[in-house]
Parts: sequence; structure tokens; C-alpha cells
Amino acid sequence: MPEQTIPATYKIEEVKKRREILELPIAGPGDQPIKVNIGPSHPAMHGTIKMIAELVGESIVNIDVEPGFLHRGFEKMMEDHNYVTALPYTDRLNYVSAMINNFGYAETIEKLFGIEVTERCAWLRTLFAELSRVTDHYTCQAAICSEIGAMTPFLYLMQARDYIWEHLNWASGARQTYSYARIGGLARDIPDGWLGKLKEILDSNIPLLKDIHGLMDRNRIFLDRTQGVGEISKEDAINAGITGPFLRSTGIDYDVRKAMPYHKYAEVDWEVPVGKYGDNYDRWFVRMREIEESLKICYQCIERIPSGPLNVDAFQAHLPDKAEVYDNIEGLINHFKIIIDGPKPPKGSIYHCVEGSNGELGFFLVSDGSGHAYRLHVRAPSLMIMGQLDKIIIGHQLADIIPIFGTVNMVGGECDR
Amino acid sequence: MSQQIPGLPDMTYIDREKRTFLDQIYFWEITRGILITTKHFFRNMAKWLTFRKGGVVILYPEEMRPDYSQNNRGRHILVQRSDGSPRCVACKMCATNCPAECITIVAEESDDSNIQKRPKVFEIDVSRCIFCGFCVEACPVDAIRMAPTTEELAGYNRFRMIYDKKTLMTWKPTVNDDVVHGYNP
Amino acid sequence: MESTFFGINTVTFITNLVIAGGIFGFMFTMGAVMSWSERKQSAQLQDRIGANRAGIPLPGGKSLKVWGFINNIADAIKCLVKEDFKPRAYDLFMYNLAIFFAFIPAVISVAVIPFAGEVHLAELFQSWYLKWIPGLPEYFATNLPNYVFRVQVANLNVGLLFVFAVGSISVFGAILAGWSSNNKFSMMGALRACSQMISYEVAMGLALLGIIFIYQTVDVWSLVQGQRELAFGWLPKWGIVLQPFAFFLFIASAVAENKRMPFDLPEAESEIISGYYTEYSAFKMLMFMFAEFIEICFVAIMITTLFFGGYSVPYLMADGFHWPWGAFTAVSHGNVVLLELGSFLTKVFFFCFLLQQARWSLPRFRYDQLMRLGWKYLLPLALLNLVVTVIIVALGGF
Repeated sequence: MPEQTIPATYKIEEVKKRREILELPIAGPGDQPIKVNIGPSHPAMHGTIKMIAELVGESIVNIDVEPGFLHRGFEKMMEDHNYVTALPYTDRLNYVSAMINNFGYAETIEKLFGIEVTERCAWLRTLFAELSRVTDHYTCQAAICSEIGAMTPFLYLMQARDYIWEHLNWASGARQTYSYARIGGLARDIPDGWLGKLKEILDSNIPLLKDIHGLMDRNRIFLDRTQGVGEISKEDAINAGITGPFLRSTGIDYDVRKAMPYHKYAEVDWEVPVGKYGDNYDRWFVRMREIEESLKICYQCIERIPSGPLNVDAFQAHLPDKAEVYDNIEGLINHFKIIIDGPKPPKGSIYHCVEGSNGELGFFLVSDGSGHAYRLHVRAPSLMIMGQLDKIIIGHQLADIIPIFGTVNMVGGECDR
Repeated sequence: MSQQIPGLPDMTYIDREKRTFLDQIYFWEITRGILITTKHFFRNMAKWLTFRKGGVVILYPEEMRPDYSQNNRGRHILVQRSDGSPRCVACKMCATNCPAECITIVAEESDDSNIQKRPKVFEIDVSRCIFCGFCVEACPVDAIRMAPTTEELAGYNRFRMIYDKKTLMTWKPTVNDDVVHGYNP
Repeated sequence: MESTFFGINTVTFITNLVIAGGIFGFMFTMGAVMSWSERKQSAQLQDRIGANRAGIPLPGGKSLKVWGFINNIADAIKCLVKEDFKPRAYDLFMYNLAIFFAFIPAVISVAVIPFAGEVHLAELFQSWYLKWIPGLPEYFATNLPNYVFRVQVANLNVGLLFVFAVGSISVFGAILAGWSSNNKFSMMGALRACSQMISYEVAMGLALLGIIFIYQTVDVWSLVQGQRELAFGWLPKWGIVLQPFAFFLFIASAVAENKRMPFDLPEAESEIISGYYTEYSAFKMLMFMFAEFIEICFVAIMITTLFFGGYSVPYLMADGFHWPWGAFTAVSHGNVVLLELGSFLTKVFFFCFLLQQARWSLPRFRYDQLMRLGWKYLLPLALLNLVVTVIIVALGGF
């Protein structure tokens, strides 16, 4: 058997450093690695990701992460559709927290128009965005739990999530692909009794969250699986452009909602949770705390939504009320113009970012004055994390890929667009 | 420090260097976890034994969930006038506004000179439709609505899922209305 | 006058056949019941309903559903008629042989466990549930008034060692299945299974040394008899009372041996699909899963027998209840047998329930944490348990 040396591409220094920390024997020359394909269709790959891992025993010496299997040409589609018909595509970016994408997109165009939304619309957008963030974090935590083996917390969180989704269905018309934002406001107002029922639903989520805390938080099996695994340092995270819960778990409290406040985040009482070491447990902790903080924001919004007009009075941006369309001819012409040509923002380019559930979700829009975008680029937060994933995973074991990947919360639609 | 939610205290952070003895022996927390699931188990068993339904599962299609949204965007219904003809005037706003481009309309002249046009062909390709409701929002005469339920939408054959005017008008419930009311998404 | 059947006494032959059939039939049924509880019990604790649609149609429009049990029978039938593809396995002989190595040890290890006490056949036929049989009560009363047998398939005096010996064969099933499947994921599942099972067999054996030391025997029947004695006049000397620490060690090792959650790394579904039985389909995979479910029941039976007195009801002797305050309640023999069998089954069902609850509540271990637990924690603790037991026995306790 000829001696096989490990090639220089194996990042041997990092492997050694990581394995010294984990007190595992070092793979030396003579160890023959096997290549394992953790393929696009795998129960634990959210959406689709291919990883080609090279293993010595159970330890990973090299890994090659290939995202991109869910690329659907979102940005090219934007050049073809006008601003109104492009809205359902933004739903399908980060499909578990679709309201945030909708509002980010609508606000980018509103900024280009120079429109400021009404008070009621701003409060409602805050409420819906936080509800979406809550559902996204529920999904992420549930997926982590089910992949490391505890199926019961997964189902408890799915139960909690389902009530919120059906309630959002009552407001917007769909459970996950809402298409609720319009340029200058929202598609329609919330029905009567919606806010009261929402309070009941959020109250009913609290016992389920307490059950999850009891089942997972101090369980030593869970702690051993997540603490010390998947660490990333502050410098690496900032250099890679990572934002969101991933960055906050390393100890840096950068949150777009506090750094560049939009909607009504500056007027509600909430705080930004941070972790300490940047490992899996810290990401779990930051997301759990963010669920609690978002619930606090939701409770405060329910109390404080003012009455008033919903959509701002900008005729060039959004469709007029149906009463106008049925009754007078200017409304009808306005309606027809916007549908056939699309809203026409002035020429220029703009970048606007919101805090998505994985980090800073940014939209860069170049408009040439016509009804559809010349170029719309989406800054996907989870793509930045994908770039660092191989450095995080190398040195760990095969069984560690699963919790690490779970806490990354890569949503295929957002990463690959 | 923000205000607490009553009933849900903020999660405490367990530092990996400062784990307590009770954390380190497995059995204490495992027993607590098993007690939580056992509590759910006996709560559901108590419901079954008293002839109610334990569990939050709805047995569709025999039951409908009580919080089923009335605003859900389901199958499309073409509204009829009181004489049975469709209210649609073949203006093609819905076809233009559709993001999936799944509506096909061919117009023809109407006999009534007040209503100038009517659709000869009105087809929706349900296998392409994304159920966004933009067609309903675009219609200037309230001629298309969406019912909350989605029964009869599944099919075995792709070509049979292009529903024509007759089907869209005769799905139950039919809607007959001469006067345009408010906005009916 | 004794009739013989190939040289064996007919009555002995028939009773042994009935007992073996009953006990092995019970194990197979419990395998099916465990797979039913995997669906229904998990559904109950997850706020769901579980499978409840399959039913046998009855005349009158209704259908017999038995709370979802028919679904399991439908699954078994489906597995029987599914396509059994031939993979490009390295070695087809090993591929097919692996199933037997996994399945047979789980079933035959129960041969040494007593399900009820001694049965006097003549008196048994006088009990209220058997005396209506025509002919047999009189036959036994006149011909074989002293015939006694134990409700135990094999009367070995190395019972516990037999259990361990047979149990260690099931490692081969996992290894051969994973190796012969020509699939890297299966290979990794086999490696994990093999090292896990070997480590925890050691821990399991050492945890039981304390029990063996106290009751002075390896024979399972005598272990159960030893647990019927009373300490201080009122406390039955069950294993849990005398060796509580060994109970926890044993339950952890036995669950790891069985490859159930939280130790189900070899078949971790989210990492390596199905582990060592990825490449099996239809009936062969059903045999692997069936073997696993039967082993759950077997682990519950072991816990009951070793730590909770087996079939014994506290204070129940062969003729009735000898209460600790001196009173005596007479119980007929038929009822004694029924009570003992009932108590055994109740305890076994309770522990099966507990093991299934643990399965759904806990995340799974990582491979090196599993090894660390087995070798660095359970093994020294088992030895410590043994040392403490020896010291207490030497000082005159128990």
C-alpha cells in the first residue's frame, strides 16, 4: 500500500489547531480519507446544498460546500416584470419570513420615490415583520431539534407556528407567500377583531415555548452537541460580512433595527441579545432570545397601532381604492396606467437594507425611469455565511455538520435567489 | 433591560465553563424532559378517554379547521350577471397584472351596446397560477373573485388543469350579482 | 403408565410446546405492539392523532380500526409485497445473512426468563377459568396430581450468561449489513454500531455484577426467587431497593445496546439516512426494524426481572398473601398464577412505555460523546458500584 500524504490543500494547520482544541488525535500521513457526498437531497439539508466531505474515520479533514441548487433567476426576472408583478417573487426569497422581504422591497422603491408611509402602516409593518421573524426562528429552532434527534420539540414549535400562519392568512390571504406589501402601504387593512385574536394566539404560544426550554435548554446531551461546536471568531465574522444572529452570537451587537432604525423600532422597548463564544449554543440562545424580544415588540404594537389612513396618497405608486375605480374616471385611468405600465420611480439607484431573520437583507435597485427595474440585486445574508462554512466545519466530526448547518439557518430561496 | 412577558422569563445563558453539577449528571434534566412529554401524553389521553379529541390535528376533508381563514386565496370564480352571462368585459387587466401570465382572454363583441365586449375565451391555467390575488385586485368591474377553499383543483392531467370559462362560472358556489359592491378580494 | 413421543413424555412435550409457543408468540406480538406504540404513543405526546385510516371493513358500513393497529398490519403486508431489489452488494450471502444475525438473538434471549411462578397443573385445572374444559381436569387430577412446571422456556442455570452471550451475536447483524451494502453511509453506520454495542455490553455486564453478587446466583429463576424475600420483615428485596445505582447504569447500557434514542447513532436518520440498513428494502428492512422493537420489549423484560422482582407480587406466596402485619389471605392456585402473570405483564408494559417516552424526548449523542460515556463514565461507575456492594456485603448487610 503506497503511503499517501495529505495534500497541501487540506488546510492542515487549521485542522491541527482545531483538533488540539478538541483533544483528538491528529490525522497524519498514511491516513487515507474517504470522500462522502452529503448530497442535495438529504433530510438535513434545508432546501438544497451539496457538501463533499473528506473524512478520516469520523473527522472531517476537508469540506467543499456548494450552494446554488435553488437558483431560479430572481434577479433576471426583475428586469422583465414591473414593480407590482415582481412582488410575489420577493415572497419566495426567504420563504419562511416572507413579510420581511416584501417590506424591504417595497421600502426600497418607496425610498426612490421619496414616499413616507403613514403612521398606521408603519406600525402594522413593524408588527407583521416581527411576526414573520418569530415564525422564521420557530422554523429554525424546530429544524435544529429534529435533526439532532428530538422530534417532539419540532412538533411543538410547528404547532405554535401554525396558529400564527393561519392568523396571517386571515389578514393577507395566504399562509406563507403573502404578497402583502404595496408601494406606499399595504394591500388591505387588517380585519376587525384581528388584533384581539392575535393576542390570544401569542398567549397560547407561551406554554409551548416553556416546554421547549424545559426539554432542550439544560439537557446535557443537547449542551454537549452544541457547545464548543462550530465556533467562529469575531474578526472572521466581520471580515466575511456576516450579520444577524450569527454575528450577534460572537458578541457584537450589530442589528440593523438599532443601527439604522426604520419603521417604528426606535419607539418600542426591546433589546438586542448577544452571545459569547460564537458557537452553536450561542446561536440557539440568540435566536431564542430574539423570539422573546420579537414577542415583546408584537405585544407592544398590538396596544399602540393608531387608526388612520393606511395607504399614503401617492397616485403614481399604487393602485387607487376600489371605490374610486368603480365610480370616477380618473381613478379608472390611474388604475389602468399603473397596471399596464407599472409604477415609474424616478431614475437613479438606491440601496436599502432591513434586518432579515438571518441578517442584513439588502436590496440594490437601479431604475431607468420605466415601469420595471433595470437591475435589482438582493444582498442575501445567508450567502455570506456559506462562504465561511468550510472553515467552521473543518476539524469537527461528521455528526457535527448537522447542528452547525441547522444553526446557520440557510434558507435555500434566499441564499441562491 | 426590556420588560418581561408575563409567564415567559428571558432565557438564561448557560456558560460552557460554568455548568452546574445538576447539568453534568444526565439524569436530572432527562427526567424533567420526560415529565414534560408525559404531561402532554396524559393531557391528550384524558381528552380521548372523555370522548373528546386529543391532539390538535384536523381530519381533513371530513372536518374543517375552525380558524380557517375566510380571506384565503383559493379557486377563482367568475361572477355572473343575473341573466347568467359573465360580468367580465374582456379588458385584460387581470391577464396583464398576473405575475405568472396564466390567464388567456380572447374578446368578442357583445350584443348589448352598453357592455361593449365580453370574453369569448377565458382560461386560467391552474397549474401555473400562484394564487396571489393580483387578478382580483386588477379587475375594474369585480368580475373575478377567489373563494376560500381549494377543492376540485387537483388533477391528473396537465392539460385538463386549464380551466375554461364554463368551469370557472359553474364551480359551486356561483355568484350572481348585477350591482358592483365593494372590493371583494 | 407414561406415553412417550419420540422418547419424551407426552405431557412434558405438550406443555413445553405451549409455553414456548406462548412466550415467543408474546415476543412477536410485542414487536408489533411496540411499532404501534411508536406511532400512537408518539402521536399522543406530540399533540397529534397518528395513523388512523386503515381499517377492516365490517358489514354495515363501519370499519374496524383498533386505534391504528390495522395500519401496522397493513405496513407489514406492504413490506411483504414490495419489490425486493438486489443491490450491487459486495457479498450477497452476507447481505442476506445479516438479517438473521440481527433478528434471532433478540427473540431467543427471552428463553431463560420466567414469566410466572411454578404451576401445579392439576390444581391449575381446578381454577375458575379452566375447569369448564371437558375431560382434562379429571385426567390431570387422577393421573398426574403432582405435575409441576415452570413458565420458562429453558431451565438453564447459567441464565444470565446465556442472555449476554446471545445478545453479543446481534453485533454481527449490524456489521455485516453495513459492510456488505457497498455504500459509504452504511459502512459508517456499521462502524458506529459495532463500536457502540461492544462498549456498552461491557458496561452492562459490569453493572449487573452487583446483582449477581448479592443474590449469589446467575440463574434467572433463583434471582427472581431471591427478590421475593423480605428485608426488615416488610420490604421486598427487589433489585431496585438493593442496587438503585446499578439500575440507572443498566438502563443506560441496555438502551445503548438496543440502539434506541438517545443512542441511535448507527441509524441516525438525519445524518446518514438509515445507517446500516439503508440498502435494504421490503421484508429485510422490516426484519431489522422488527428486531429492534422486540429488543425494546426484551430490555423492559430484563429490567423487570432483575430489578423489579420479575413476576413476583409483593407478599404473594404460593398459597396466598402473607401480609407483613401477620394477616393471611388465601388465594387459589389458579388465581396466584394469574396474578403473577398479570404483574409481570404490567411491569413490562410500564417499562416499554417509559422507554418509548425517553425515545421521543431526547436528542441523540455524538459518536465520541457516546464512547466517552460508555468507557469513561459508565464503566468506572459500575466498578465503583461493585466495590461498594462488596464492602457492604462483607460488613454483614443484605
